[in-house]
Order: sequence, then C-alpha cells, then structure tokens
Amino acid sequence: MTIEMFEKPLGMRDDFPAVAKKKAELKEKGISLMEQTGYELLQTPTLEYYETIGKISAIPDSALFKLLDSQGETLVLRPDMTSPIARVAASKLLKEKMPVRLGYYSNVFRAQKREGGRPAEFEQMGVELIGDDSLYADAEVILLASSILKKLGIESGRMVIGHARLLQLVLKDFGLDAHQIDKVRSELVSKNSVGFERLADTLPIKEADLDSFKALTTSTRLEDWQQWINPVNEEQKNLYNEMQQLEKIINRSGLGEAVIFDLSFSSHMTYYTGLVFEVYGSGSGFPLGNGGRYDGLMQQFGLQIGATGFGLRVDRLLEVMEKEQLQESHTLILFGKENEQQAYDKALELRSENERVTLQYAPAVHAIDEFCALFTTVIRMEGA
Amino acid sequence: MDELTIAMPKGRIFEEAYELLVKAGYDLPKELDDSRKLIVEAPNEKFRFILAKPMDVPVYVEHGVADVGIAGKDVMLEHERSVHELLDLGISRCYIATAGLPNTAMNEMTPRIATKYPKVASHFYRSKGEQVEIIELNGSIELAPMIGLADRIVDIVSTGKTLKENGLVEYEQIVGITSRLIANPVSYRLKQERISELVEKLRKQVTL
Repeated sequence: MTIEMFEKPLGMRDDFPAVAKKKAELKEKGISLMEQTGYELLQTPTLEYYETIGKISAIPDSALFKLLDSQGETLVLRPDMTSPIARVAASKLLKEKMPVRLGYYSNVFRAQKREGGRPAEFEQMGVELIGDDSLYADAEVILLASSILKKLGIESGRMVIGHARLLQLVLKDFGLDAHQIDKVRSELVSKNSVGFERLADTLPIKEADLDSFKALTTSTRLEDWQQWINPVNEEQKNLYNEMQQLEKIINRSGLGEAVIFDLSFSSHMTYYTGLVFEVYGSGSGFPLGNGGRYDGLMQQFGLQIGATGFGLRVDRLLEVMEKEQLQESHTLILFGKENEQQAYDKALELRSENERVTLQYAPAVHAIDEFCALFTTVIRMEGA
Repeated sequence: MDELTIAMPKGRIFEEAYELLVKAGYDLPKELDDSRKLIVEAPNEKFRFILAKPMDVPVYVEHGVADVGIAGKDVMLEHERSVHELLDLGISRCYIATAGLPNTAMNEMTPRIATKYPKVASHFYRSKGEQVEIIELNGSIELAPMIGLADRIVDIVSTGKTLKENGLVEYEQIVGITSRLIANPVSYRLKQERISELVEKLRKQVTL
C-alpha cells in the first residue's frame, strides 16, 4: 500500500535542496565569525525537563511541545537556546572558566496555533557571554550580531536598543508600584500606544509629569533619554553613563546610523534585566533576532553573575539575504551500458578539477530533455 | 523617501479614513475606492494603498506586506495579531453589545450565544462567571434569536437600527470600538520617520 500523506504537523517544513544549501552556507559563515571572535560551539539536547527549561525559557506554555518520558516526567522540545546554555554554564565544569563564551547553531521548537507563515521548528544561531557584567560584554555581542549580518550581505539592517533595568527605575520614579509597572510594561511590549496613553491617564502620575511620561514611547536617540534620568539617583546615572560609553563604541564602529535608542523598547522575554536589543532587516515583516543582558536568568540557576547574548532566526535571515541568481556550474554525464567505464573515468577526472559532476545511467531517465535542463553542461556518452 | 504601503478596509471605514488623510494634508487621488482595483498608488505622497476586507487588514500588516493599516478595534480584539497600535483615529465609532428578544432570560442548562466574535464573546461571559456555548456565524447574526438558534447575540452596534427592525433589544454593552492606525513592528523601525510623521499629522485631525 502506498502512503498518500503529504501533510505535515502544523508549522513543520521540509527544506528542499536549494534551501538546505543556502542554510549550510549561512551556517558556515556565521560559525566562522563566532569562532574568530573567541566563541566555542556547543550542542545541547533536543529534549529537556519541563520543570527547568520549560518554565525558565519565558516561552508561553501553550507554545511548548510537551511529552512524557517513561518515568512520567514531563519533557519539552527545547523552545530556546539561552536557557539550556545557562544551565550548562551553571555546571561546575564551566564555572571555573568564567567569563565563558559559547556559541550555537541549533533548531528550536515552538508550537503554532494559527495558520501558516510561522514555522514551529526553526534554526537559531547566536552566542552567550557568561560571567561578565561590564558594558564591554554588551558591546561585544551587539557588534558581533551586526558583523554577522554584514558578512551575510544584509546591508539594510537596523537595531533598536532599550534598557529593561533603566526603564524600570524611571517608571518607579514616576511614582508607580510594581503592579502598575507590570501593566505599563505589557502595553510597551506590544507597543500599544493607544493603550499606553489611556493607561497613563488612570495612573497616579503628577499632572506636571504626565507629558514627560507619555513621551516615553517616542525616544529614538540616547540624548532623548536624558530627560527621564533622575540626576540624584546613582544607579540611574551610572546606567546612563554606561549607555553613553556603549553609544561611543557603536558610533566608532560605524553603526550609529543603524541604531535606534528607544527607552520604552521592551521584550516579551521577561528574563532580560539590562540592555535589550532587537534586529530588523527590510524584506522580512518579523524581527531577525534579539538579545540582551539576562543576569536574572543566571540567578534562577543559583549564580550571581552577569550574562549577555543574542539569537538570530535563520529562516528570517534567508528571507532578507540577497537572492543570488548565479547558477553554479554542474556537469551531467549520461552513460549507457557500453560506456560505463569511460563515463566513470571522465567523472573522476572532472571531479579532480573541482567540478561538480553527476553520473547518470541514461535509460533510467524518463524525461531526458527536462532532466538535462537542470545542468549547466551535459556530456552524452550513452551512444554506442 | 521610502514608499509606504497602507492597508485600508473597503467600505464604510474607508471613506472616513480617506477623508481623515486628506484633512491631514495628504494629496491623494480623488477617487480611490471607485474602481475595482485592489492596489492603488498615490504617487504624489509615495503611498500605495491595498484595499482589503476589514478583517484582513491586520493580517497584511502582521506579515509586513503592508507597513501600516487602518483596522477596527473589534478585529484587533478578536484576532490578537502582533502589530503596533499607534493611534486611535476616533472614526467608525460603535460598540460591541449583547442583544436578544425582549424580556427573555437565558436558557438555564445551555445558554447559547451566536456571534461573529467568538473570542470577545467567550471572554465577556467568562469574566461574568457565566458558562455559555458559543456558536460562530459569519453574518446576519440577528437571525439567530429570531429562529431559536441562540438566546443572545454578541455583535457590533452602531445606531441600533438593525436590532430594532428585527425586534431585538440590547442587553449589555461590552466594549467601545473605533478604528486604529496600526503598524508592522519591523516597518515601524525601518520607516520610523515616515510613520511618525503620519501619526503626528493624523493626531491633529482626530476628535475623540
């Protein structure tokens, strides 16, 4: 009986050879850059415990693929890479090598509820710099993310940078309690300006401060942030000074034009505790990747150390990369029973010259003209 | 100047939105909605309009094939797309309400609610602690109580005329609705200058 099931589970995709090849090239370029910058690659298991990785990953429960192991423990298909790497880094072996630089190229899984257009399994590549809480670590990962984009030929990229901790301090200074800050954050995460302004009117903010509060969503440059910084609050002042230093490094690297500083930028990933950023490119309606500082996540593994990193979505990078039309040379040698030996020798000779050669027994091909059209050169040796 | 692609809902909301854009000072061709064309250019402003079903506007914007769009809050509540909601345009004002035949109580065993907005309806009754069964319909919702399909309907009310003509009365108002300017999160960053300008120009014309 033949199986007539072409359907795949919602959100699962086949990578046909052309896509698989592009992915392999992208992977090679990305990894070589990570390694040059001093990051070592690691691979973590596909299955993790729900109780640890599932809960820590900050991915909504409904997006987790869950299953049970033979002991009745709930497992998840890894929904992100940051939390498994944090788990590994917290182990004794790596604790002694801090700061540690780890990179990855892995597939992650997030269940989809709706229609197509969103994969449920996709590759991510990125790095984590664990054990360094200086701004230089943040600068390093931002510059690395940007140079990966450059190496992939993505010139149209833009980056938005915010700061989760600084935003929280500023909101506190407006007189908001933790519960109110949560509500504000949730409007900011979805960038619902209408909801944000409505909410502002219901909050106990001083009349005189209301305009300044509502302006929170409008900053695009670091200078804009100055208006909200409380000069007598040491922590705010220090964080702002750090951001200024970071800006200098960014400008020095020629990225100034491509970076937007938006204090209200907030990620749905709740584990970010410091600088947060997101990367965009024209050609994809969805962000290419994001990153930031997540010291809070390390605390959940019992470590009081700083960590920062980013992840880029391979499927979206492919969408925005220049479509190369260049057809690579590929030779086809068709052979018949009599010339099998000569055809084989010819193929070996061409391959030794680095030519890509496909060897095919001619009578096995049904549509000979269509098949030949797939190649740049055809050598027919099937005749007697 | 980057070209800006704007998804516009056809029909009722379109005219009000078009008027608002013209009042905001944008130089648009006179008859945009007249043709059967689905894509219309406004070369003087480097705008390209996509004319879509109101329900589909947030879909185009979410996938980034339209940079911004104009969508009813009712659609946004029902479909929860990940788009940025930038401005309340204050047009196409109406509300979502429950309605039914006059002086009727809900069935005690299995109260049934007919609606085009299953998510909004189910959220509303759940927040009241009432267990109901939702029946999704695509149009002429008012029929449902008249022919005994449902005890109540949850639907858009603007003037109340349709309800009245079909002998229905309004029971509870659920949420007020207006049209919103929405943006794709990536376009919002990549075309920030143009989009902010659009928001500021429109904001001056909005009456809430």
